[in-house]
Formats: sequence, structure tokens, C-alpha cells
Amino acid sequence: MSDTIRAELFKLRKRPTAWVLLATAVVLSQIFGYLIPYLSYRTGDAQTVGGNVPRGDVLASTLPDQLVINSIGGFPVFAGALALVLGALMFGGEYGWGTVKTLLTQRPGRISVLSGQLVALGAALFVGVAVLFALSAASSLGIALAENQAADWPTVTDLAAGFGAGWLVLAMWASLGAVLGVTLRSVALPIGLGVVWVLGIENLVSAMAGSVLTALRPLRDVLPGVNAGSLVGAVMPDRVIDPPPGVTSSVAEPRALLTLLCYLVVCAAVAAWTSHRRDVV
Amino acid sequence: MVNNSPGPAAVAAQDLRVHRGGRAVLDGLSFEVPRGLVMGLLGPSGCGKTTLMRAIVGVQVVSGGRVEVLGLPAGSAPLRSRVGYVTQAPSVYGDLTVTENLRYFAAILGAADADVRRVVDQVGLSSQADSVAGALSGGERARVSLAGALLGTPELLVLDEPTVGLDPVLRRDLWQLFGRLASQGVTLLISSHVMDEAERCQRLLLMRDGRALADDTPQALLERTQTHDVESAFLALVDERARTTTEEVPS
Repeated sequence: MSDTIRAELFKLRKRPTAWVLLATAVVLSQIFGYLIPYLSYRTGDAQTVGGNVPRGDVLASTLPDQLVINSIGGFPVFAGALALVLGALMFGGEYGWGTVKTLLTQRPGRISVLSGQLVALGAALFVGVAVLFALSAASSLGIALAENQAADWPTVTDLAAGFGAGWLVLAMWASLGAVLGVTLRSVALPIGLGVVWVLGIENLVSAMAGSVLTALRPLRDVLPGVNAGSLVGAVMPDRVIDPPPGVTSSVAEPRALLTLLCYLVVCAAVAAWTSHRRDVV
Repeated sequence: MVNNSPGPAAVAAQDLRVHRGGRAVLDGLSFEVPRGLVMGLLGPSGCGKTTLMRAIVGVQVVSGGRVEVLGLPAGSAPLRSRVGYVTQAPSVYGDLTVTENLRYFAAILGAADADVRRVVDQVGLSSQADSVAGALSGGERARVSLAGALLGTPELLVLDEPTVGLDPVLRRDLWQLFGRLASQGVTLLISSHVMDEAERCQRLLLMRDGRALADDTPQALLERTQTHDVESAFLALVDERARTTTEEVPS
């Protein structure tokens, strides 16, 4: 399997789409985590920004002690959608390019190929999360220096919890993209369905469960996005301003963690079963 | 049946049957592919050539009979590094270069980087080694697929219409490559619906409607049917089969 992992990492490194997705995540993270808040702080002349947020809090939200929330605050929604796209591209792409037949007939066993691809995907997400943390750290340090603010970093425990939660959220979304790619044997349909789910259905069900139809709450509490948002919300307790969209406290941390792990295992198992049992066409 | 070398045949099928959509795609096919030669698999489109190749490489569910490859059941794990398969549609990543595609497959196979250069040269793509596969012509992409199958040391190459869309010079060069590989002991099973390619094979399996019409050398086929080319021989065999069927069913 090590040959497969090495080969998959090589392929990911060479694919423009992987870099485009990472660049998109970085740009969105920097814009919404640092650029917009900092510009609001610098250009605003009132004591509050947006009508009710004190300017001091806006600046404080960009400082190093807020590194975790600024790094993974967007993971439940936009970075999750990007991870889902990566999973669908990586696994569904094999059918689109027609390479699955070569992979599964001449090379290691089907489960070995799939396992190698999943491990490589997990490793790529690890690198992606590390890049987002590193760039967020650089931006927050830059702002702290520019504004003569203290550079108080989160504790190692908080950083590790945030990093782990962020990776798990992205891995869960990517594995959903992967299983859709394998079962639907394509790229476009899994991406379309997945993005509609992440950005539309989840928000709709959450909103209805929270207002007009509370009977939907049990359903809401097992949704992947809600659990991702709950886990992210749980690992960033000291927030200066309101959390980003998608970050919630609907589900308790242990249950959210367990639910995300279940999604990860079930997706891998379904992908493995489908890949192992089905004819290669 | 013939067998040119000691040991089991490269491919041995016995009463092979495949049904799809309620239709018999392969209907009791029995044949052997001796080792170390170029075997042509010829027949019109839809006669079951690709299905037969899929059964040989172990990705086709069969309804009955058996297929053995290099003495092992088709699709067995030990065969994966010993059998190269080139599908009819090119099997390459369009967003990677030729070299990157082959380095990826070489890494999965555990083959050395030097092997990548060898196969790129063998299929005549040295000048396009750094081109993105998606920008190549269909014939060039097909050659990238072929190069992938040549990585490592395959003992059996199963090639599904590898020369479709190639110009005459490239076709000639590839057939020369196939001949060289066979002379080195590699067995090649090559499908085509172009009958004039049959003359380049050392042995032929002619198929129609999922059945074998003939399994012989090109020369023996021509002598048996008293024709001058394989296409005429194929038509003569089709007529012969039709007559036999008519005689077997009284009016």
C-alpha cells in the first residue's frame, strides 16, 4: 500500500486542481478572517463596526490568540465544500479519465488502491490545514505588530484540538465526496449534489429545526454539517465576536466528534464495498 | 491447439459464457493463446472482443466456464504485475503530462523511473514527454496508455484495439514493437476489427456473435477457406457457419 500512497501523493502534487482548491481555501480564509475585519477596523470612524461590534473587538478578533477560530472557522461550510470537491475529483476522476480500469486490473488489489487513496487524501488535508494555520498565524502576527498589540498565542492544547478538529471536519467532507465519486462513477454529479447539500440543504434543515419545525431537531443533530459546526464551536471557547456561519453549539462535543468519526468510517466502508464488489466498466 | 513453450498457455478458456442484459455476449468460447506470440482477436464490432478481454484480465463477471491466465484463474492477485491491459478508450489523466502519468503508474507498480523513459521511447512519445496528456491527439493518448501497460515486465499484454486512429507509419512502428516484444517471450493478445492487421499476427481467433469462428494461423485459415486475404476468409467462414446452421435446422 505504501507504493499506492506515494503514487497518489505524487499525483495530487502534480494536479492543478488540488492547488486551485488549496489556493481558494487560503484566499477565502485570509479575506474573511483577516482582510475584511482589519480593513473594517482601519477604515471605520465610529466606535462600532457594522452597527454593534466595538472596533476594539474587531481588531481583537484578528490577533494571535484567535488563531484557532480564524483558521478553522470556515471549515464547516466553505472549506468543507472545497474538501468535498477534492474527494469527488480524486475518486470520481478515476472513472472520468478511465484510469480505474488500469488501476484495478494491473496494480495492487482494489482495497489496497482505495486505502492508499484515502490515506493520501488524509495526508493532503493535513498539509492543507497546516498551511491555513501557518498563514493565519503569519497574518495575525503581522496585524499584532502593526497595531502594537500583544502576540498571545493559543496554548499547545488548544492548537492541537483545533488542528485535529479542523482536519476531522475536512476529512469527513472529503470522504463524503469520495464515496459519492465512487458510487456515482463521475465527478460532476457528486460535486453538484454535495455542494447543494453543504450550502443548501443543511442550512435549510437547520433553520427549519430552529424555528418553525422543531420536530426536525433529531434529524438536524445527525447532519454532517451541523456536527462539523458543533465540533468546531466546541474547540474555540474564547471568542471575541460572533462565530462564523456554520459554527454552532447544536450538538455536544463528544457526540459531534463521534458522529464525524462515524461518517468517516461509514464512507470509507461504503466506498470499499462498492469498489470491491462492482464490475469495472 | 498449440503451445509454443513449456508450462501452461498464456490464456486458456474453456466453455466461457458471459451474459449481459439477458443476451449471451460470449457463448461457450474455448481457445488457447500459446506463449510468446502475437495473437490477433478479430471480429466485427459487438462480437464480444472487449468482453473476452475483460474476462481475461478479471474485471468481467462470467456466467459459466473458466479462464486461466498464465496457469492461474483470471483476475488472481499474483497476475496483476504479470498482465498489462490497455483499454479501448485511453486510460490517462488528462491534467498530467505524459511523464507524470507514467511516473504515477510506475510508482504504483514499483517500477524504476528509468523504466518510464524506456516505455516513452518505445511508443514514440519522447518529443511529447512533457506535454499535458489532455492536449494530445487521441492516438497519442492511446500510446500513453500502451506505455503504461509496458511498465515493469508484463508476461501477457492484452491490448484492445491499440492501433485505432493511428497513422500508417505509427501503426507499422507499433506492430514492429509488438513483434519485438513477442520475440522476447511476451505474449500479446491484440483485438482489432481491421482485418488487414491480421496478417501481422502469428495466430488468429476470429469471432462473431460471441462465438469462435476459427482459431488458427493466418496461412492455415487462407488455405482452409481458399481465399487470399483474412477478410475474405472471415466472410467465407461466416457463410460456412450459416450453411451449417441451415442444414442442422430442417425446413
